[in-house]
Amino acid sequence: MSAVLEVTGLRKVYEGGGRRVEAVGGLDFTVPAGQLACLVGPSGCGKTTLLKCVAGLMRPTSGSVRLAGEPVTEPPPDMAVVFQEYGRSLFAWLSVADNVALPLKEKGVPRARRAELVRRALADVGLSDAAGAHPWQLSGGMQQRVAIARAIAYEPRVLLMDEPFAAVDAQTRAELEDLIRGLWQRLGVTVLFVTHDIDEAVYLGQRVLVLSASPTRVQDDLAVDLPDRRDQLTTRGDVRFTELRARVYARVQAAKRGERPAPDPSAPPAPAPR
Amino acid sequence: MSRGGGAAARLGRRALRVCALPAGLVALWWAAAASSRSYYLPAPDAVAVTFAEVWFSERILADALPSVVRLLAGFALAAVLGVALGTAIGSSPRLRAFTEPVLEFWRAVPPPVLVPLLILLAGIDDAMKVLVIVSGCVWPILLNTVEGVRAVDPVLADTCRSYRISGFTRLRTLVLRSASPQIMAGLRQALSIAIILMVISEMFASSSGLGFTIVQFQRGFAIPEMWSGIVLLGLLGLALSLAFQRVERSVLDWYHGLRAATRGE
Ligand SMILES: Nc1ncnc2c1ncn2[C@@H]1O[C@H](COP(=O)(O)OP(=O)(O)OP(=O)(O)O)[C@@H](O)[C@H]1O
Ligand SMILES: [Mg+2]
Repeated sequence: MSAVLEVTGLRKVYEGGGRRVEAVGGLDFTVPAGQLACLVGPSGCGKTTLLKCVAGLMRPTSGSVRLAGEPVTEPPPDMAVVFQEYGRSLFAWLSVADNVALPLKEKGVPRARRAELVRRALADVGLSDAAGAHPWQLSGGMQQRVAIARAIAYEPRVLLMDEPFAAVDAQTRAELEDLIRGLWQRLGVTVLFVTHDIDEAVYLGQRVLVLSASPTRVQDDLAVDLPDRRDQLTTRGDVRFTELRARVYARVQAAKRGERPAPDPSAPPAPAPR
Repeated sequence: MSRGGGAAARLGRRALRVCALPAGLVALWWAAAASSRSYYLPAPDAVAVTFAEVWFSERILADALPSVVRLLAGFALAAVLGVALGTAIGSSPRLRAFTEPVLEFWRAVPPPVLVPLLILLAGIDDAMKVLVIVSGCVWPILLNTVEGVRAVDPVLADTCRSYRISGFTRLRTLVLRSASPQIMAGLRQALSIAIILMVISEMFASSSGLGFTIVQFQRGFAIPEMWSGIVLLGLLGLALSLAFQRVERSVLDWYHGLRAATRGE
C-alpha cells in the first residue's frame, strides 16, 4: 500500500503574547492508504495542533505534510475533520439535517443523492428523529454525533477525528466505535483518530502512535495485530488486547513523566538545542 | 365550552394587561387638561376629533406618505450600506486597522450631536432628506456589523475552511448569520434614529412631511392639530417597531432558542 499521508519533520511553534510554546517538535510518520491509525498522547501534547497541520488549517513552522504526494497548504478536498470542540463546529441557525447537507451542497452533490446521504448518515449515528431539530436542542453527545454524521456523509478519502467520543456515554461510545470501524471497512477511508482513551485506541486502530509530551514526537508506533473483525466483548477480552493495552499504557505513562523517545539510530540527528 | 371559554378569558386578560397603562395615562391627560384649562393642552377627546378631521383626508397622502417613504428609503439604504461596509471591515484586519480611529470616533459621538450639522445639509428636496437619514443611522448598523463579523467563532470558520465552504455561501451561511444578532441590534437603534431624523429634516427647509405639518400647525396656533400630528408620529413609531419585532423574531429565532438553551431554559 502506498502512503497517502506523509508527515515529515513537522514542527509547530506558537509565538505571541510573550510566550513561546513548541507544541510539535519534529514529527515523522506516514499513513498508508486505507489505514485506521490512532494517536494517543497526554493532554496538551499537541495532538490538535498536529491534526490542524494535517488538515491544512494551520501552517507548520517547519516540515511538511503531503497528501497523496501533494504538499498540503490549504484544506484539501476529500478530507473531513471532526473537531474536538464539536458543539462550536455546528451551525446553530441550521437544522441538524441542513448542517449535514451543507458541505454536500457546496461540493455539488445533486439534491436526491444529498438527501439520501444525509438520511443514511443520520441513521448511522442514531439521529434520524433529530433531523429537523436545531443543534442547541440536542445533548452534548448528540451534537457530537451530528458532527460525525456530517463528516461521514461527506464521503471523504481521509477522515481526521479529534477526540470525537469524549462527550458520549459508554454505551453510545461503544456503538460509535463499531460504527467508525464499519464505515472504515465499507468506504475504504483513511482514518487518523485522536483519543485520550488507550482502550479505545487499541480497540479501534490497526496501529497506535503514542505521542510524547509537548514538544511532541512519536514515542512509540505499534501495529495492532488483532483480527479485523472486532467486537466489544471478545476483542476486549482477548489476551493480545490486554498485552497491547498494557504496552500503550506504559508508553503513555513514560510520555507523561517526560521521558523522551529512545533515539532511533536510523533517524536523522536531532537539531542541537540552542 | 370550557376550553373556548378559557381561551377567551385569557385573551381578555391579555387585552386588559396591554391596555391598562395607556388607558390610565389618557385618563390622567384628561384630568390634567380639565383642571388646567390651558390653551396649549387640549383634552384627549378634542385631539381625537381633530385627528380624524386632519388625517382622514388627502393630507395623509400629501404629508404622511412622503415622510414614511423617505424614512423607509433612508433606513433601507443605511442598512445595505452599513451591513456591506461593516462586513468588509469586520472581515479584513488591515481594513479594520485603517478605519479603526474613525470608527472609534463615531462610536463616541452620540447621534443627536449630528443634528445641527444635518440641519444645514437638509435641503428642500427628497434626496437631501434621505441622505440626512442615511448619514445619521448608518453608524449603529456599521459598528454593530463590524463587531458581529469579528466575533465569528474560529471553530466554525475552520469548519467552513475544511469543508471548502467559501465565497458567497460562506458569507450567507456563516458570516451574516452568525453576525445577525448584532446586525439586528444595530438596525433597531438605527430605526429610532431614522424616525427622529425624518422629523427633524422636515422641520427646517421643507414643504411637505409630518415634521413640516406639525411645525406649520404650531406656528398657526392650531394646537389640537399640532397634537394630532404628534399622536400620528407616535403611532407611526409604534407600528414600525412592531413590524421590526416581527422580522427580528423570525430572523433570530435560532438565537433566542440558543440563549434559552444555554441559560438552562
Ligand atoms: N493558538 C495557540 N496559541 C498558543 N499556544 C497554543 C495554541 N494552541 C495550542 N497551544 C499550545 O500548544 C500545546 C498543544 O496544544 P494542543 O491543543 O495541540 O494539545 P492537545 O494534545 O490537543 O491537548 P488536549 O488533549 O487537551 O486536547 C499546548 O501547550 C497549548 O497550550
Ligand atoms: Mg486537543
